[in-house]
Amino acid sequence: MKLLDARLLSTREILPGQWLHSYDAPWLASSAVPGQFVHVRTPDWSGLVLRRPFSINTYDRLSGQVTIHFRVTGKGTDWLARMRPGETSEMLGPLGRGFEIDSRSRHLLLVAGGLGMAGVRPLADAGLAEGRRVAVLFGAASAAEVYPSSLLPDEVEYLVATDDGSLGHHGRVTELVAEYEAWADQAFACGPTPMLAAMAKLATGRDSRLGVARLGRKGGGRPDAMGSPGARRKSWLQVSMEQTMGCAVGACLGCVIIGVQGPQRVCREGPVFASDEIAWDDAS
Amino acid sequence: MKRKHTVITSRAAAARAPKAPPPAPIIPSSARRLPGETFRNPLPVPKAPPPQPPPVEEEAPSGRCVDLTVDLAPRREGALVLDNPVLVASGTFGYGIEYGEVVDVQQLGAICCKGTTLKSRIGNPPPRVTETPAGMLNSIGLQNPGVDAVLEKYAGTWAGWDVPVIVNVAGESVDDYVQVARRLDGQPGVAGIELNISCPNVGKSGLQFALDADAAAQVTRAVRNATDLPLMVKLSPAATDIRRIAQAIADAGADAISATNTLTGMAIDRHRRKPFLGNTYGGLSGPALKPVALRVVYEVAQVVDIPIVAVGGVSSLDDVLDFLMAGACAVQVGTAVFADPVLPLRLIDELEVWCLEHGLSSHRELIGSALPGRRERPSTKGVEYRP
Repeated sequence: MKLLDARLLSTREILPGQWLHSYDAPWLASSAVPGQFVHVRTPDWSGLVLRRPFSINTYDRLSGQVTIHFRVTGKGTDWLARMRPGETSEMLGPLGRGFEIDSRSRHLLLVAGGLGMAGVRPLADAGLAEGRRVAVLFGAASAAEVYPSSLLPDEVEYLVATDDGSLGHHGRVTELVAEYEAWADQAFACGPTPMLAAMAKLATGRDSRLGVARLGRKGGGRPDAMGSPGARRKSWLQVSMEQTMGCAVGACLGCVIIGVQGPQRVCREGPVFASDEIAWDDAS
Repeated sequence: MKRKHTVITSRAAAARAPKAPPPAPIIPSSARRLPGETFRNPLPVPKAPPPQPPPVEEEAPSGRCVDLTVDLAPRREGALVLDNPVLVASGTFGYGIEYGEVVDVQQLGAICCKGTTLKSRIGNPPPRVTETPAGMLNSIGLQNPGVDAVLEKYAGTWAGWDVPVIVNVAGESVDDYVQVARRLDGQPGVAGIELNISCPNVGKSGLQFALDADAAAQVTRAVRNATDLPLMVKLSPAATDIRRIAQAIADAGADAISATNTLTGMAIDRHRRKPFLGNTYGGLSGPALKPVALRVVYEVAQVVDIPIVAVGGVSSLDDVLDFLMAGACAVQVGTAVFADPVLPLRLIDELEVWCLEHGLSSHRELIGSALPGRRERPSTKGVEYRP
């Protein structure tokens, strides 16, 4: 975690109202892991008292570049969208705990709804770099909001579902998961809460349904404590959660979501959780 | 190690220690009183204190050219003397360790930790925060692990720090407050107590302590009797007659007053057509609250003679100066920390530079300079403007 000034290298409206910012932030690029986020101070903070949290969309350790992908939803993001290359943004990051990839996983399934692509996007690079296979399932309202495949690595298997059927599968993105359930060693999801709740439902009992053997000693030693990196790694599904945020370092307790073990800070215990850590009935 | 400062801010203390440097009264006492009142503590002041070199050079903390120290508990000599008048407000800085990676917390005047209750509380349902014009709403609901867990987890760390940690205490009954205060009493690492009395008083059908002078005085007196720790009581800006309440709190034995807590507000989620916050109502903080807090400080400074710590929308040096001139002797930075975690440290430096530029040997010379003068009648404007 560090306060740093990042220089904007390029800005592009990749979809209507959705922007991709590329920053020169070598320290961030070298210390981030997939699933972490940055807390960005808006360029004009007259009247805006909070920073804006964004998932680290991609990072490149060699060039020191970090990208964030955001939608214009209010004043803060509107100001960000008006930034021009050469201007600097003040960021606090990298923050939170990232995704846990099991070293034995060969097939990674990424499921994203809308802007949730930004949450799982860095896993595609990280997975491919380590020689794993990656499938991305993406859901959006219509073809106009589908994440351009040109922004994904070529090696990724990319499937799209739209609510109105204008591109790809006609229906919810979660309906595509069944086909990949047996193939995927681990699944990672980010998107609207109802989508994540549906994913969590698919994930419960998956192992017994597919007859997947639990690896390790029979009877399995001591189980990992809920929320520990080990437990998250062993969970088939990890989700990246979203909440309105204050401090982003765990001080204000503003960004909690309800977990099965009580309130969980998205900024500190999250934003990534194992799907069985969240109390989905309260969340949706 | 802890630096010791001998800054004398009250006549009583001066009388006890005549060899100390001449007293620097925070505010001319007469400016703080309503007409017709007499001094309650007319202790004789030595007529010619032995000549001493001006304390500025030696007394100022190392590295500072201006004496920024401030005593928040003048009645308990040396119990809560801060290196500088910039604190961080309760609830925005956790327990002081969360920001440790980006802020040198040891440079702060003091840290007011997250509200602490007797038993653990899980807080309000999410979402709990949202931004509003020039401010934010929060409805955390006093989530905390309870006083015993807080002490076990953090008191050891606090004890090793130079910066004093003031534990913010909340409760639902006088007994709650007293029990928490007893547990904090004598704990290493706990420099003082800040009472959050903007909590519903379960014994009095949910009326907030802070809105009722009798209840406010009762809880202050009970905690005062339970502990020797410096005691600061936090006012609510929603009180109709803030001066009566402040007076009652001061008379009940509080060492300092912090003003103010948040104002209750709400926001609507237009997509769901429902209240945005899980708890419907939340506390408004940030620059939007500053004029209200300034008014409260200005009013309270005219009726009490204990130190006032201003809280409410401090986000620049201008705000700090405004509050000092209105009668506060220190400020707490709250919401502004979220946007700029290093702001409190910068404010200390900026205040020092401002004092140098304006030829002040201490920021204390500014305190209360905007208050009505000796011969003027005290302001009744606050009363007039109330609906």
